[in-house]
Amino acid sequence: MSGKTKTEMAIYAVVCLAILLVPVFLDDAFLLNKYARYLVLGMLAVALSLSWGYAGILNLGQATTFGLGSYCMAMALKLKTIPVHTGSDGLPDFMVWNNVTELPWFWKPFYSMSVGVAAGILIPALFAALLGWFMFRGRVTGVYAAITTLAAMVVVQLLIIDQQAYTGGFNGITDLAQFDVAGFAFDAYGPAIYYLVAICLTASLFIAFAITKSKAGLIVQAIRDEEDRVRFFGYDVALYKIFVFSVSGAIAGVAGMLYTIVMEFASPTFLGVPISLSVVIWVAVGGRQSLLGAMLGALIVTGMQGALSESETFLDSWTLIMGLLFVLVVLFLPKGIAGAVETIAGRFERRRTLARRQSRRADTVGEAPRLERLS
Amino acid sequence: MSSPQLVIDQARVSFSGFVAVSDLTLSVGQGELRCLIGPNGAGKTTALDLICGKTRLASGAVRFQDKPIHRLSEHAIARAGIGRKFQVPSVFRDLSVWDNLHIGRSARPGVLSNLLSFGQGDDKVEIERLAELVGLENDLKTPAAHLSHGQTQWLEIALILAQNPLLILIDEPTAGMTQQETKKTAELFCGLRGKHTLIVVEHDMGFVRDIAETISVMHQGKLLAEGTIGEIEANQAVRDAYLGSGGIGHA
Repeated sequence: MSGKTKTEMAIYAVVCLAILLVPVFLDDAFLLNKYARYLVLGMLAVALSLSWGYAGILNLGQATTFGLGSYCMAMALKLKTIPVHTGSDGLPDFMVWNNVTELPWFWKPFYSMSVGVAAGILIPALFAALLGWFMFRGRVTGVYAAITTLAAMVVVQLLIIDQQAYTGGFNGITDLAQFDVAGFAFDAYGPAIYYLVAICLTASLFIAFAITKSKAGLIVQAIRDEEDRVRFFGYDVALYKIFVFSVSGAIAGVAGMLYTIVMEFASPTFLGVPISLSVVIWVAVGGRQSLLGAMLGALIVTGMQGALSESETFLDSWTLIMGLLFVLVVLFLPKGIAGAVETIAGRFERRRTLARRQSRRADTVGEAPRLERLS
Repeated sequence: MSSPQLVIDQARVSFSGFVAVSDLTLSVGQGELRCLIGPNGAGKTTALDLICGKTRLASGAVRFQDKPIHRLSEHAIARAGIGRKFQVPSVFRDLSVWDNLHIGRSARPGVLSNLLSFGQGDDKVEIERLAELVGLENDLKTPAAHLSHGQTQWLEIALILAQNPLLILIDEPTAGMTQQETKKTAELFCGLRGKHTLIVVEHDMGFVRDIAETISVMHQGKLLAEGTIGEIEANQAVRDAYLGSGGIGHA
C-alpha cells in the first residue's frame, strides 16, 4: 500500500471516528435526529461520487435508488404495524382506504424484516444494473446518460404515485413501526439510530474506498478519461460501468432505508428531481473525485441549508446564499473543497521534498564533495 | 512458410455511402514488421480500425490466427492478442505514468479479479522495465497530462507493450517526435520484430526506410502494391499515385 493511500485511510478513519463520537458530547434528541438525517444524505453523496467522480457517469437520478431503498424499508415497517393499527384483514391502512381486499403478492415477502433489508439493497442495485446494462451496452455516455437516468427516475416516481392502492400514492407510506433488531427498537430520536447511520456510513465509505483503490477502481477511472483506450486493452468497459453503477445504487439503497427509519415515512418526493439535483450540488461542492469530500460536502451544504433556513435573518434569502455558494465553488474550485485541499497539500509536500533534497545536497557537499561530482 | 497470422479478405468499409476501403486483401505473417503507406484518405487508418474492431466491415472478413474476428467486440479482439496505438496519442491523462502502465497490464481483464487486486503485485518489475525502455523511469509518479507530446507517444507505446499482444497496430507513431526520438522509435520497433507482429502506418518515409521489411501501399481504399523498398520505389503505379519522382526518402 502506498504512503498516500495510508494517509488517506487515516484521514477517513479520523473523520468517521469524529462522527461516531458526536452523541457522546451531544445530548439532544432533536439535534441527533437532524444530524442522522444529514449523515444519510452524506451516504447518498458517497454513492454519487463513486459513479460520477470515479466512473464519470453523471447520475441525475441518484434518488431513484435512494427512493427504492426507502420504500423497501417502509413496506417492511408498515407490515409490522398491521396487528396494532388496521381493522380489516390486517391490511395496511391506505390499502383499506383504496378498497384493496387482499395484500398484493409483492408485499408479502416484506413480512420478514431480513427480506426487507435485503430487498432494500438488492432492488436498487438490480435497478441500476438493468438501467446500466441498457445504457452502457448501448454506449450511451455523457449528457445522454445523465438525461436517461433523469428520465428513468421520473418514470419510477410517476409509477409510484400512480399506483396509489399499492404504494400509498402521493402520501407515501406513513405511520410506520419502529425498526428493531432482535428486540432492540431504534427510536428515531435516540442515539441508537444515530450510531446505526454512522456505522452504515463508515462501512459504505470504506467499501467504496476499497473499490477505488483496487485495480478495478483504477480501470474505472481510466474509463472516465479515455473509454476507447481501455476497451482496446481487452477490458469490458460496459461491465465495469455496470458494476460501479450498481454498487452506487446499493449504497444509495441503504441510505434510502436509513432515511425511512430516521424520517419515519417514505414519500415519492424521495425519488424527486429536487433531491437528485441537490446531491449533484453537494458532491460538486465537496469534490466529486473524493468520496470523503463528497460526503463532507453533503454535510456542509445540508447543514448550512438547515442553519440558514431556520435563522430569522436569512429566512428570505437563504436559497440565494446557497446558490451563490454553488456558483463560487464551480467558478473557483472546479474540483470542490477536497480538490482544493489536495492541491494545497501537494504544494506543501513538494516544498518539503525540495527542502529535504537541498539540505541533503548541502550535507553531501560538506562531507564528500567528490561523490557529488561523480554522480 | 506457415499460414499468415492475419488475413484481411476482400474487406469493404463504407461510412454512410462513402467507401473508405473496398476489396482490400492483405495478409501479414507472424513476427513480420509491415509498413502501410499511402496518400491521405487511402484508408490506412480505416484498415487498422477494421482489424481492431473500431470500424465494422460491410462485407469481407478478417481472420487472426485462422479465426474470424470481425464480428467480435473490441475487447474480445484485444483479448485475442491484438493491440492498437492510436494516431492521436491516447493515454489516461488524469492518472500517473505508473497507473497508466498498470492498466496496460491487462492479462486478467475481469471485473472480479481486478476488484481483489490491490497494489502492484507482480507487475512492479515489468512496469519498471517498460518505463525504462521508453525513458519514463523518472516520471512514474507524474500525471500523464504533464508529459510532452513525444513522451505521451512513448507512453502509449509502452502501454501497448505492457498489454503484450501478438499483433500490434500502430498509427503514425512518430507524429510530433523530434528526429532523435524518431530514430529511437525505429530502433525499438526493429527490436520488437520477431517477438510481435507489427503493422505500422507511417507518413515519414525516412522512418519507413529504417524499419520496413515489406511495404504495402494503399490507394483509394485498395491495395496498390506490395513489396520491398526497392520494388515499391521502382513501381510506376506507386510513383504516380503517391511518391512523386523523388522516391522513398525524399517524399
